Amino acid sequence: MYASRNIRLCNKDCVCLFVCPTGATDTETGQIDRLACVDGCRLCVDACPSHAIHLVLERYPEPAPRQVALAESMLALCERKSHEERTALAIAEAAPTAGAARVARALARSARILAEDCAREAGYMIPQCEATRELLSQIATDHDGKIRSIAEELIEVTAPGR
Amino acid sequence: MAQATALSAVLSNLSKAAEKQELFGIAERFNELAGLVDGNQARDPSLEALRAEVARDGERDYPALQTAGAEAGDRGVLRAVKWGEKVTTAQRALMDRYASKGDALLEGKQLFLCEACGFIFLGDDPPEICPVCKAPAPRFSNVK
Ligand code: SF4
Ligand code: SF4
Repeated sequence: MYASRNIRLCNKDCVCLFVCPTGATDTETGQIDRLACVDGCRLCVDACPSHAIHLVLERYPEPAPRQVALAESMLALCERKSHEERTALAIAEAAPTAGAARVARALARSARILAEDCAREAGYMIPQCEATRELLSQIATDHDGKIRSIAEELIEVTAPGR
Repeated sequence: MAQATALSAVLSNLSKAAEKQELFGIAERFNELAGLVDGNQARDPSLEALRAEVARDGERDYPALQTAGAEAGDRGVLRAVKWGEKVTTAQRALMDRYASKGDALLEGKQLFLCEACGFIFLGDDPPEICPVCKAPAPRFSNVK
């Protein structure tokens, strides 16, 4: 695991420069040098008065198990929100005025965000979890060409232990 | 298994999850995939049709999920339902106001979207914190 700085939260208190044993926090890019960061050290994370630094893990746990029926209901809602997004996009395309198109585009993006949240709560929490990996194999089986090759590549790069 | 219509949103959600883990290459691939599977079927492209779809979620789907989530003690689902219900209410309000006022509603105003929860806000500036999910103003984008 390594430390990462959120530059929007960083108030340039610079305490992280004092505590880092390797100088990883002091770089010209504003980003912490992850190769110089000592695995699991987290001194700067605790020292930063602005809470601007967090840890990035190499491995994340499986999401907590969820009732199958509930996960399915969330996926059904994801489906409905996606449908609403399509409707809104179609409205935007056929809109008679710029204002109507803008309202429809906002509704479409809002619907997409709701659909994504439903997908997350349906179990597709992270790229590495089992539900995602099953989905990717299904996509690879159902398609060919570019879709299949990207799905296969993603299965490989998200494999446990990578 | 995610069905065709939902597939793109499932994949774009995973792209965001990868980005938060700083797996930018993987995030890009998920996004690419999300774009490729995003088939655009013809729909009834009217605001009334959309209004009816959204209203049905508010009247039927969210209350049912709220009950099921509470019975299972599933707080993740309860959280998503709470946010979703409020965002959906804001969507309906925008559609109603636009239906009655037309483009005059937008006169001199910006449409802001909370990228964390989907809340839509019409005004001069984004709210300081999102009234639905409490994300700060920089999480809002301006829909052009
Ligand atoms: S201690 Fe925190 S606020 Fe100060 S420079 Fe480091 S990251 Fe920024
Ligand atoms: S975690 Fe430790 S080694 Fe890594 S940047 Fe922070 S202080 Fe330096």
